Amino acid sequence: MTQHQIVLFVVLPMAGGIATMFLHRFHMAQRWVGAGFLLLNIYFACMALATVVPTGSILVSQMGNWPAPFGITIAVDTLSALMLTVGSIVCFCVFLYCVCQFDRDQQGGFFHPMFHMLMLGVQWSFITGDFFNLFVAFEIMLMASYAIFCIGTSKAQMKQAYKYVLLNLLGSTMFVTCLGLIYGQLGTLNMADITRIAMADQLPKTSIPILVMMVLVFGGKTAIFPLWYWLPDTYHTLPSAIGGLFAGLLTKVGAYVMIRVFVMMLGTSQAITEIVAPFLLVTAGITMFLGVLGAVSMHTVRRILSIHIISQVGYMLMGMGLAITIGVKPEIKELAVAGAIFFILHNMVVKCCLFLCSGLMIEHAGDDDLGKIGGLLKRAPWLATLFMIAALSLAGLPPLSGFFGKWVLLSAGFRSEHYIVVSIAVLTSLFTLLSMLKIWSYGFWSPAQGKHVDKPQILPRTVGGTWAIALLVLMSLSMGFGAQKYYSMCATAAKSLIDPSAYVRAVLGERNTPKRVLNNPVSHKTHVQSAPEKISH
Amino acid sequence: MNLLISIMVGVLFGASAFLMLARELKGVCMGVFLLGHGANLAILAVSGTPAGKLPPVLAYGVDLHELVDPLPQALILTAIVIGFAVQALLLTIIVITWRRHQTLSMAVLAEENDH
Repeated sequence: MTQHQIVLFVVLPMAGGIATMFLHRFHMAQRWVGAGFLLLNIYFACMALATVVPTGSILVSQMGNWPAPFGITIAVDTLSALMLTVGSIVCFCVFLYCVCQFDRDQQGGFFHPMFHMLMLGVQWSFITGDFFNLFVAFEIMLMASYAIFCIGTSKAQMKQAYKYVLLNLLGSTMFVTCLGLIYGQLGTLNMADITRIAMADQLPKTSIPILVMMVLVFGGKTAIFPLWYWLPDTYHTLPSAIGGLFAGLLTKVGAYVMIRVFVMMLGTSQAITEIVAPFLLVTAGITMFLGVLGAVSMHTVRRILSIHIISQVGYMLMGMGLAITIGVKPEIKELAVAGAIFFILHNMVVKCCLFLCSGLMIEHAGDDDLGKIGGLLKRAPWLATLFMIAALSLAGLPPLSGFFGKWVLLSAGFRSEHYIVVSIAVLTSLFTLLSMLKIWSYGFWSPAQGKHVDKPQILPRTVGGTWAIALLVLMSLSMGFGAQKYYSMCATAAKSLIDPSAYVRAVLGERNTPKRVLNNPVSHKTHVQSAPEKISH
Repeated sequence: MNLLISIMVGVLFGASAFLMLARELKGVCMGVFLLGHGANLAILAVSGTPAGKLPPVLAYGVDLHELVDPLPQALILTAIVIGFAVQALLLTIIVITWRRHQTLSMAVLAEENDH
């Protein structure tokens, strides 16, 4: 893949969205065209991964050939390529599920365009190298998700849609205000340029509170501890397919951006990390523990899964927090970031898969309240098998993907001696297993009850959905059994995030390459000392 | 001038916070719109005062520091367009809600959902 082809990650979904918009009267054509665009997208994402990973190079394209801090930059490094690949595969599986199982994609014909536009926003935020474009990508993503939210809504959904829309709008407005203030302070919104300024330890003191404020903006999108309240109320009202898409992609975009901003861009600036790192670690512990307690207390499959999203976000935060804690050795920082990236990838796949499973459970049993359903093991043995693999993977049992993500994170925590957050993480895993077993024993193992008792025939439309779930489970298994391969890619990504000079050099060109300034107060002293010298001259 | 804009930003943010606490959806949406305008003004404020500066047209013999920085205005334009789309979408949702429920009161909507 050449460097200018990366613009395809924006162009393809946009073209897909426009094409399906024009085809809104022809449902079959819409589906086939959509599938074509999604498969092309997966192909190019894999190409980008194959180009970037072996050499650790970074594909950079300057829009309109305007040089870096002035024009719009898009860049694909290992982290972006990994997110793009897994994200596009997850998108395709959800698409397959929607087409086979979920007839809402035919209502009015505007589900498909919105689906592609959502993907456009997600992919754009993965590849952008410019803060303002990140805002635009977020906005596109959110607009598409509002529209998908409101297609054929029930009453309960409508009220939750308001909560979702308003809180996200509040977050976006805060983001754009922050951007304005950052531009006023630093004179640039290019991510590489801000990274360069942070590495040279030249961030003005007044810009620090604004940059720290961004934790709240992205934290709201990712649903971290004090800002999570919108998520459990919202996601469980969604149809499972859409819930899977949102859970698999939208909250993970937030986590990706947090890694990009707080680990790569600002991780070298001591003034910022000394505020953000303890906050992230404390929040990580609280987020994962309260999230899982919520999940254990719930009694509806979709509610359990949506509160679980929050608990899993805690692990990602833990990785990020360890990676920017002052005094942690660089190799442990790399371990922590690699663990967080691995965990995000694993979680995109598994979470989405579990949501799709809950959709099929509703399809079979007519409800997802665990008190009203049961005996799905006999009714849908394949679904039960796939659910079990995904659930155990989420809980983190050894040969499956969740184990490796957690193991890397926990070992990073042990080696940097953060025992409290590590023990909370272990405890959270146990509770996760408990809540998954609850779904298993009530939904699958208990005596048969629910809609499927009266209607014993198998519905043909659940078959396609099972295939989509099987694809995701296969992906998760490959991450478990091929963990070494995946982990080495995550480690490459982590290395370039902990020391971002390669990224800065690739985007800004050789001329502006910074020398890494060690974080110590000496740089302030030199200013003070040099001032009187000038006067004496 | 800058002081005036800064005060305006504060007033807009305050008014929007007040409106967003309303019990009616119309008020809440108005609050969101005002918040967007406040954010745009904030970007304008940080770009500095244009008094005594030249329009940003490059020509020989012009000192770059005498030109107005055009980027904040480009940012604001983009933000306005996005804000416009968001407003259209929110108003659409409001119209749909009104047609279905004949009410825009948050309390009534919440009650209906409980049953």
